[in-house]
Amino acid sequence: MTLLTDTWYVAKRELIKFLRTKVRVVVTLIQPILWLGLMGNMMGKVFDNPYVAQAMGVTNYMAFMTPGIIIMTVLFGGVFGGISIVWDRRVGYLEKLLAAPIHRGAIPFGKTLAVMIQNGIQVLAIVGIASAFGVHFETGFAGILGLMVIAMFFGAILSSISLSLAASIKTMETLMALVNFLTMPLMFTSTALFPSEAMPGWLAAIARFNPVTYAVGPIRELVIHGWDWSKILPGFAVIVGLAILLMLISQMIFQRATTD
Amino acid sequence: MSKTIEVTDLVKVYRNGVRAVDGISFSVDKGEIFGFLGPNGAGKSTTIKILIGLVNATEGKLLVNGIDITKHPTEIKRATGYASQETAIDDRLTAWENITLQGRYYHLSGREIRTRSEEILKMFDLYERRNDLAETFSGGMLKRLDIAEALIHQPQILFLDEPTLGLDVQTRKVIWTYIKRLREEHGMTIFLTTHYMEEADTLCDRVTIIDRGTIKAIDRPEALKEQLGGDVISVSFAGDADPADVLERIMKVPHVLAIERNGNGTHRIMVSEEGERIVPQLFTLCEKEGITIDAVSLKKASLDDVYLHYTGHAMRDSDETKETHFKARMMRGRARRK
Repeated sequence: MTLLTDTWYVAKRELIKFLRTKVRVVVTLIQPILWLGLMGNMMGKVFDNPYVAQAMGVTNYMAFMTPGIIIMTVLFGGVFGGISIVWDRRVGYLEKLLAAPIHRGAIPFGKTLAVMIQNGIQVLAIVGIASAFGVHFETGFAGILGLMVIAMFFGAILSSISLSLAASIKTMETLMALVNFLTMPLMFTSTALFPSEAMPGWLAAIARFNPVTYAVGPIRELVIHGWDWSKILPGFAVIVGLAILLMLISQMIFQRATTD
Repeated sequence: MSKTIEVTDLVKVYRNGVRAVDGISFSVDKGEIFGFLGPNGAGKSTTIKILIGLVNATEGKLLVNGIDITKHPTEIKRATGYASQETAIDDRLTAWENITLQGRYYHLSGREIRTRSEEILKMFDLYERRNDLAETFSGGMLKRLDIAEALIHQPQILFLDEPTLGLDVQTRKVIWTYIKRLREEHGMTIFLTTHYMEEADTLCDRVTIIDRGTIKAIDRPEALKEQLGGDVISVSFAGDADPADVLERIMKVPHVLAIERNGNGTHRIMVSEEGERIVPQLFTLCEKEGITIDAVSLKKASLDDVYLHYTGHAMRDSDETKETHFKARMMRGRARRK
């Protein structure tokens, strides 16, 4: 019980700041508008060609792209878990937390919970914007909740990775550079923006093992096709399993890094 | 008087091999303001961090309120409050949000948090600004809020690590009045570290002089100064003249206790009393020996002199690490943003 309440109060602080930082909220809304408005419209014309659409297996590029935008937003937002730890260490807030009788694991868990909730809010914003661009969500409200859960667990993966790195990295600049170094290739070697049919063989092979593909797959299924559990569950299980594993690892690394 | 803190043969060696604390022993009485005075890297902060359970001791016995820290760290955390030298306030939160979250970290009920937050913020004259973002606060207000937060769970012992680092002299004195009030009105035991001599002199009942991980002296500030004598004559000689004979003869003059040579070539003559009568004798002796005095000053012994006496070196700014400069800059930066 203490772990849960401690985790919540660590997360609460981050959430108050997130909602107070208007720039981050505005960027959350603008980025999907730009991606869907520019890239979606531009590529949509290409996929209007029935031959291209048939060859790639994509009939509505805007709907195809929406899961990619969701995962991309989550992918780049995950870094904030680690950044907040680096900042807290720098200004002494981490010491203050460690001096309090809270469960030590609540600190990384709380940071990750905050990232997950922020991701959930961002996903809802993207869903709203995509709807405004005419994207129809095949599985309705329940499907939107489902894709939100997948995106949130995917956010937990990224947050856990950045938290694990933050345990040994002392500056935010280094951490951001390192996380960007990891996230950019993850994004472009996945099926987030293009179907595997459009990729050369080697890239399609990499995409098959990329966790981003496992997150995008079930979300795309929920947006475009419907409740086909055989296509939703495998990806969902991989993402949730990986998230839990990495959260536990980040917690262990954090405990070790804060014990001297 | 009962002992609140008892430390015996404390040693801390960090993973990188740095021996930050090297076999120190001391005790702190209940209701005492006890100070650690020393430059950066002396082992002050490490000692505090060990006492509040942030860092593990390599060796030694540590009792806080009679409880072994290593066996009951959570119990110790509930009995102690800690304000670090960084002023760890989240400036994107209001004062109220900062202090109430701190209450949550100490597992207080909502009712306790509301009552105590109101009480403490009023005590530190911050209640009127409780709904303002901390980023609008001056450096002194931030420090007050930081100390206020450390009191939310009503600790018996308050640890303050460099409580006035980076603050201007006027603000520093304001913080001192709040620290004194905590002891006078609440009987709180306060353990603080500082590298400001005046702070140690003004606030502390007893001062520990610590240098390179070892304790050089522990006593009341007045007693430490008395040990050196009442006056200090600082004298520097012109040219390359060897003043050995002059100094030898000065040592034989009544009331002269000791003569020390500083790194910068100045000699310090410790005198128990009547320093002003010894200065003319010094001039006379030098004249006889054909030695010219370049500069001379007479002053009452201060903690600076005590520190110099026990450690053999002055506590200069150059001792400050880059990290401490960063912290001081941050404090000043926060203050400017008010």
